[in-house]
Amino acid sequence: MTNERRIGRVAAHGVMITLSVLAIFPVYWMIQSSFRAENEIFSGGLFPSAPTFQNYLHVLSAMPILRILGNTVVMAGATTLAQVATGVLAAWALVRWRFPGGALARSLIALSWLVPFQVVMIPNYVLAARLGLLDSVAGLVIPNAAAAFAVLVLYNAMRGFPREVVEAARMDGAGSLRILLEVVLPNLRAPLASVSILCFISAWNEYFWPLLLIRRMENSVVQIGLQFFMTQEGNDWGPLMAAATLASLPILALYLVLQRQVVDSFMKSGIR
Amino acid sequence: MTDTTVFAAGAPPRAIPRIRLSTVEPWLYLAPALAVVVLWVYVPLLQAFELSFYQWNMLPRATPRFVGLDNYRNLLGLPDMRQAVVNTILYTIGLLPLSVGIPLAVALVTGNLGGPLRNFYRALIFVPMIVAPIVAAILWRWLLNEDHGLVNAWLAGAGLAKVGFLSDPDVALWTLVWITGWKLIGFSTLLFAAADSAINPTYIEAARMDGASGWQIVRDIRLPLMSPTILLITMMTILFGAQWSFVYINALTGGGPLRSTTNVFHVMWEYGFKTMAAGWSTAAGMLVFVVFGLIALGCLALMRRLAVYDE
Repeated sequence: MTNERRIGRVAAHGVMITLSVLAIFPVYWMIQSSFRAENEIFSGGLFPSAPTFQNYLHVLSAMPILRILGNTVVMAGATTLAQVATGVLAAWALVRWRFPGGALARSLIALSWLVPFQVVMIPNYVLAARLGLLDSVAGLVIPNAAAAFAVLVLYNAMRGFPREVVEAARMDGAGSLRILLEVVLPNLRAPLASVSILCFISAWNEYFWPLLLIRRMENSVVQIGLQFFMTQEGNDWGPLMAAATLASLPILALYLVLQRQVVDSFMKSGIR
Repeated sequence: MTDTTVFAAGAPPRAIPRIRLSTVEPWLYLAPALAVVVLWVYVPLLQAFELSFYQWNMLPRATPRFVGLDNYRNLLGLPDMRQAVVNTILYTIGLLPLSVGIPLAVALVTGNLGGPLRNFYRALIFVPMIVAPIVAAILWRWLLNEDHGLVNAWLAGAGLAKVGFLSDPDVALWTLVWITGWKLIGFSTLLFAAADSAINPTYIEAARMDGASGWQIVRDIRLPLMSPTILLITMMTILFGAQWSFVYINALTGGGPLRSTTNVFHVMWEYGFKTMAAGWSTAAGMLVFVVFGLIALGCLALMRRLAVYDE
């Protein structure tokens, strides 16, 4: 029995190590390739023999990567703020009151993720063009200012909030907005943080809508900047890997610092 | 909640000012989220439905011309579309082992793995999930490059022939399936592991006391109690798998070689923004929406019937 268990544990470690290598090695390969000089890029070996920043310098001169990263931070930050704000307000309405049309409103929000973006892309594009949102960061944020999963996760979190506390505050004459801001929200730090992390990462990684909207390199976000750069540089692997590494850096740094919270937030809201 | 419910449902008319406030107030909170969803999802959905009966090249000056069901009729007769539908099914089927099969097996095998290494593994296998899709596309394009990529170097080292991972029409689709799945394996594994460790350990202890074998425990206790998660991830893969692949199709193959990697979402994108045939694109979109909507309803019904809950 113990022997069998020991074999089981060794097998388990073996499986996990394989899976970990599979997950991390491609990312490692990207990073190490980015430090290789041009004459060394095609040679095997796990480490660059003479690490160099020349690929990064090339990227900095070939594309406005810092500006693009800045755009992406603004876009992802604004999208997160908007999605959390609209999510908090909508969730509060659905938790605080039971009212005619409430269930319908909730389903409308919840089912919006069933509509594939490609189905509505043409009307969306036309609307964005009419509003003068093409090729702008605002245009990337506004259509994504509310997210079904943010509403639903916050709705579930608020539903768990003790009703007596809300009632007590109401007895004290607090209005619903004050109760939300001063009583409920301070106690929802964990779900708020988790929703914000998710919103930020999914906004950062968003590809399709920027692909439609963005025309010029200097207005682009990293996903589209990388796409432009890939078309431009073709098989210039060193700079390409350097650009991809730079584009991933903020998210990887966030993950290094908040690893636990990031994983937990993804697990709580399912696949996105 | 109860007080406002009473007011809204059966209060006498003379309490009008309070009723007014309590009926309007929730809508004020809902307005921003609802406005976004209605303006950017549901109204466009209706407009797409309308557009699918018109011919329009998307130029602002050109007026859409009504063509009835022509767009649908043409689409259904198009070999392009048939290929895209077949490929969409292949993407979905190909993804299932990566998003459900392997992760489930891994979660079952590693269920009793404890200790500090466990968290370390967790941290590593999750990484692909947060890697941006376009970054995943670029790094796999490098690893799988036909002439200089690491994988082909390894194959050559093992005495095998080079594989044109993105240029061979028989292989390219599966390459894209792999890249899509690579992002999901670790995350799915974590979801299954969480479902597994949520199982009440006394069930397994009791079964073991009764002399149940490891496999019997898996089959009769662990799998049934993990079924909600299994069904959920299966459903997500079926509903969204083909959409997740879009980035890789667009960035790596453009639907080629020989249209072998295109799928319905990519076809819509091509009709819409390459060929500028808004009617075709939206008609295809409506078909896709209806089909996937029906699949979603079917999946939900199936989940309700099949899932086993601990109670």
